Amino acid sequence: MSVTSYSERPTTRTDESSALSVPWSRPRPKRRGISARAVSAITILAVLAAWALSARLQLVSPVFLPSPFAVWTKFVVVARDGFVDATLAQHVVASLGRVFAALIAAVIVGVPVGLAIGISTIGRGIFDPLLEFLRPIPPLAYLPLVVIWFGIGEPSKILVITIAMLAPVALSTASGVRGVSQERINAARSLGASRFQLVRHVILPSALPSILTGLRIALGAGWSTLVAAELVAATRGLGFMIQSAAQFLVTDVVVMGILVIAAIAFVLEFIIRRIERGLVPWAGRE
Amino acid sequence: MPQLVLDKVSVHYEGQAAPAVERVSINVAKGDFVVLVGRSGCGKTSLLNVAAGLVEPVRGSASIAGRPITAPGPDRAVVFQNDALFPWLTARENVAFALRLRGVPSGERARRADELLRLVKLDGAGDKRIWELSGGMRQRVGLARALAAEPEFLLLDEPLGALDALTRERMQTTLLDLWAAAQVGVLMVTHGIEEALVLATRIVVLAPGPGRVVRTFETGFSRRYAAGEAIRAIKADPAFAAARGELTDAIFEGEAA
Repeated sequence: MSVTSYSERPTTRTDESSALSVPWSRPRPKRRGISARAVSAITILAVLAAWALSARLQLVSPVFLPSPFAVWTKFVVVARDGFVDATLAQHVVASLGRVFAALIAAVIVGVPVGLAIGISTIGRGIFDPLLEFLRPIPPLAYLPLVVIWFGIGEPSKILVITIAMLAPVALSTASGVRGVSQERINAARSLGASRFQLVRHVILPSALPSILTGLRIALGAGWSTLVAAELVAATRGLGFMIQSAAQFLVTDVVVMGILVIAAIAFVLEFIIRRIERGLVPWAGRE
Repeated sequence: MPQLVLDKVSVHYEGQAAPAVERVSINVAKGDFVVLVGRSGCGKTSLLNVAAGLVEPVRGSASIAGRPITAPGPDRAVVFQNDALFPWLTARENVAFALRLRGVPSGERARRADELLRLVKLDGAGDKRIWELSGGMRQRVGLARALAAEPEFLLLDEPLGALDALTRERMQTTLLDLWAAAQVGVLMVTHGIEEALVLATRIVVLAPGPGRVVRTFETGFSRRYAAGEAIRAIKADPAFAAARGELTDAIFEGEAA
């Protein structure tokens, strides 16, 4: 009886699958048709085309929406001659400098805080409420306070970005620490590892994949805080460039600045993913 | 002769109504291979963790060579079911980590680690990353790392539990070879009835609810292997089949049929 049910099963299965009309439910040996990447490329081209067309037909005034060509021309001009007393490269360097200074500060503070949250109950008791308080506040809300306290200099700008980065770094570190397998810790302890050696040689490297994910999220958060940080008394930076341009309704520079910010964010994400792959190749295959 | 002694040990985890283990005594002398078997929930792993110093008994005492066990220590290296190795290090570096904790000077570590890897038949795999190794190879690295601590006792928590049947069989003889070569006492937890018979000099059968010893078998199959007899010949011996029947009965004794 079991024999017949076995011989019958595959036949019905084949019948069912061939009767199905939904093409994507059938496993295909080779990728055919259109890939998601191609669809993405088409989408981007379509948006560009719609943009160019609406500018061309003057559907919207160029003051509100300059054409793609105008933006590109502006890009070349600002890259060469600069805008508000600095070239595009100088604006980019100023902004990147702030974001990376903030990233270093966030790592120096956030990783130990995350370790404390993950390792000790007291650490969790102290830092968890503070981070949960900080995390949902938009940077524009605490910017005035930071300025009142620390003035309008460079440290204030870096501090605003750092605050935005702190929670992702600390919380990712903490979740990485809490995720370390108990067996791995017990094995190291049974080999005679001290508490410090445990943290340094077992817990930190185990949490590294999670810490790197935190850095990636933090970099995104910091980069998006940039414009807010450069609101006050900046003389250089992409955010500053966009704001100055907006004040004079130089919309092509505004659009160009937005695109440059997006492009840099994309490149940073790509680089940090590369670093992750090189630094923690074991992540996901343990 | 140094002994690992669990004396009338009771384990009661916080928040649980019944104790996990009640008044269990186990002695492991150097050169013994003691295997704990029993159905799920009989407290095998709890007892092993008491010996390791990872779990504190609520009553009774645990000691090694007369010293009370209060914390984990390299005199009782533990090997777990899921390898607790470090994936960011190579096989050699994993073993060298244990040597470093023991204070072996850095110049000697690589050479000594390679010796240990050869002992577990992993020569040539020293430069491999942990995630490039098969399950059986990982357990061999885990064993080499445990031996690097130069323990007096090895505590094995289902070390072969996650392996396929063929690898497991090969690892059993490796374990016996290591046991003989390293001159250690072994306390091991397993679910495998045949595995217990092949490896043990003594089998302690535990029953659940609360965990307690129901029977102790002295067995001689592993000594016969150590004396040179082939493992297949031992398993084919009618005495082996008889012992397996008896052990199975003891494990399922008192369970509602």
